[in-house]
Amino acid sequence: MRPTLLIVDDHPGFRSLARKLLAAGGFEVVGEAADGHAAITAARQLRPDVVLLDIQLPDIDGFEVTARLRDGEAGPAVVLTSTRDRADYGPRVDQCGARGFISKAELSGAAVHAFLGATG
Amino acid sequence: MNPRLRLALALAALAGGLVNLALLLRTGHGRPEPLAFLLLVIVGVSWSFVGAGLVAWSRRPANRTGALMVAVGLAFSLNGLRLVGTPLGFALWFLVATLPAAVLAHLIAVFPDGRATTRLQRVFIAVNYATTVPLALVQLLLVEPARLGCGGCPDGLLGIGGRRPYGEAVLAVSGLIEVGLAVLLLWILVTRWRRASGPRRRSLAPVALVGMVLLVLYLIQEALLVVVSRPAPFDVGFDLAILTLLMLWPLGFLAGLARARLDRSAVGDLAVELGEPLPPGRLEQALARALHDPTLQLAYWLPDRHAFVDAAGRPVELPTAGGDRAVTVLRHDGDPVAALLHDAALEDDPALVRAVAATARMTIENERLQAEVRAQLEEVRASRARIVEFGDAERRRVERNLHDGAQQRLVNLSLALGIARSQVGTASEEEIALALDEAAAELRHTLAELRELARGIHPVILSEAGLGPALASLAERSPIPVTVTAAPPDRLPPRVEETAYYVACEALANAAKHAHATAVTINARQHDGRLLVEVGDDGVGGADPNGSGLRGLADRVAAVDGHLHTDSPAGQGTRITAELPCES
Repeated sequence: MRPTLLIVDDHPGFRSLARKLLAAGGFEVVGEAADGHAAITAARQLRPDVVLLDIQLPDIDGFEVTARLRDGEAGPAVVLTSTRDRADYGPRVDQCGARGFISKAELSGAAVHAFLGATG
Repeated sequence: MNPRLRLALALAALAGGLVNLALLLRTGHGRPEPLAFLLLVIVGVSWSFVGAGLVAWSRRPANRTGALMVAVGLAFSLNGLRLVGTPLGFALWFLVATLPAAVLAHLIAVFPDGRATTRLQRVFIAVNYATTVPLALVQLLLVEPARLGCGGCPDGLLGIGGRRPYGEAVLAVSGLIEVGLAVLLLWILVTRWRRASGPRRRSLAPVALVGMVLLVLYLIQEALLVVVSRPAPFDVGFDLAILTLLMLWPLGFLAGLARARLDRSAVGDLAVELGEPLPPGRLEQALARALHDPTLQLAYWLPDRHAFVDAAGRPVELPTAGGDRAVTVLRHDGDPVAALLHDAALEDDPALVRAVAATARMTIENERLQAEVRAQLEEVRASRARIVEFGDAERRRVERNLHDGAQQRLVNLSLALGIARSQVGTASEEEIALALDEAAAELRHTLAELRELARGIHPVILSEAGLGPALASLAERSPIPVTVTAAPPDRLPPRVEETAYYVACEALANAAKHAHATAVTINARQHDGRLLVEVGDDGVGGADPNGSGLRGLADRVAAVDGHLHTDSPAGQGTRITAELPCES
């Protein structure tokens, strides 16, 4: 069975491209959200296996959203993404409880799968 | 004051005193001894007040204190009427007998200003005079003469007699009024003393202290009159004490004036002190010492700013007239140089303030120049900080634009190409062509955004073709209609061109963003070695020259030694004019 995935990003252009790319890459995209609060609500309702989460959101940032989603072990695996480079965010990426970070330009189904394989 | 008037008043006082003395000699034997002695002291009081009053009047003509003192002295010489010896003489004396005390009370109530400043003072003075002659007249009509102090007078002194039942009541009421006035005056004195500032207390001291002692003595005397049935010895003793104090009081006042004269020796000390170079801020202290006003503040005039500043270059507000603070402006050829902000009490002695200011003029001029330099330095520091801050904000803005715009689009481009790549072999050629078309469109948008961003950082047309073409290009791209009515045909130094272009850009951005303008005109012309850039719009006006946008523009213009002028009355559009020197 294909893993389910929620896309969180405030740019609709990116969301539609990412949906196509990840659908082609072996994921079932179950939903999209445009900001942090919508992401938390959607994750509770849809219970996706993975959340692809943009770090810069209009309301609360991706680190904060990750912390709330990971509250309790049952939460989804979070993969952070950004137009910026991982180096722009320093150690926060590792500390927030996310499974990993993918730069937007390098996004692919295989890259997301790689993080899921890492710990289960 | 007029020397003739002074002579006339002095002669009047002298004559009044001599007449009194002559009357004293003429009455010879049979006169009541204590009274005769008191009259001698009264002549002393009269001359003492007139003399000191004339000196004060000449020294400070604008202050009524001197005139009031002369009036007190002349009023006291009326006491000789008591010695005329006839009932009519007694009646005349009795009518005016309370005048000296009334004028004295007036003087005490308004000292040292010479005029009433509070409502309480005005009420006191009015009641005080209203109860002199009229009250005495009532007493003469209704009280038997013996009770008024004329043993040998007939009962019907003014033709009316036998009103004894009313007489005692009149005396009691009169006594109450007098005591009431004395208490009121004491209250005025005490409140004024408590509210007075340091310098004011200095000028209030001689009269406040003597006045309080006089009033307390008077009140004790009145109290004794009630308690002791035959108070004559006490009475004469008190009168003597009061009169002696009165005779000495003008001398104390003269000593105060002399001290003011001594203060002019403080001017000498100041001159010596100013002979040495003073560390910054010390001049203010030296002036405060010379004028005995620790609250004194020195402010320097900056012609550039049309404002007064302190020694550190910070703006100073001048006090408004009529308050506790007063200001003396020092001028040079009619132009302000500096201002002394001091206690209003120093206005009693403007000559002293002027003398101190004149002594310190050179030093003040020097300090003013230093203050001007410091103020300019302060301004340069502030504008430097603003320019750095502005530069940082600009870099943040460029980073954000790159991130939100071109970078985002390039990410999308990368994803679109990834999708097209993944479709090879699985999708139709049309689908792949569609994906590649989307990618190409994304790339064109990206290039357009990058061009716009680069132009915002520096318009290449400005450095390549000059201000005229750059302004024309700016007008073409503007969302609101822009007319360029004039532009310099020749190339100008790059800094001038860039600043002029920047002024036009900012003004245009403001017109679109804040002023909701529908038309803008740009006029850039050379005149007299300067480039004038005028940008006018038909928007809502009311632009704030100290807002961050216009402030940044002014800083930028000031950096090339230019001036920025904003004219933006509410509802009448905005006209921003930059004047840039363009001789390199």
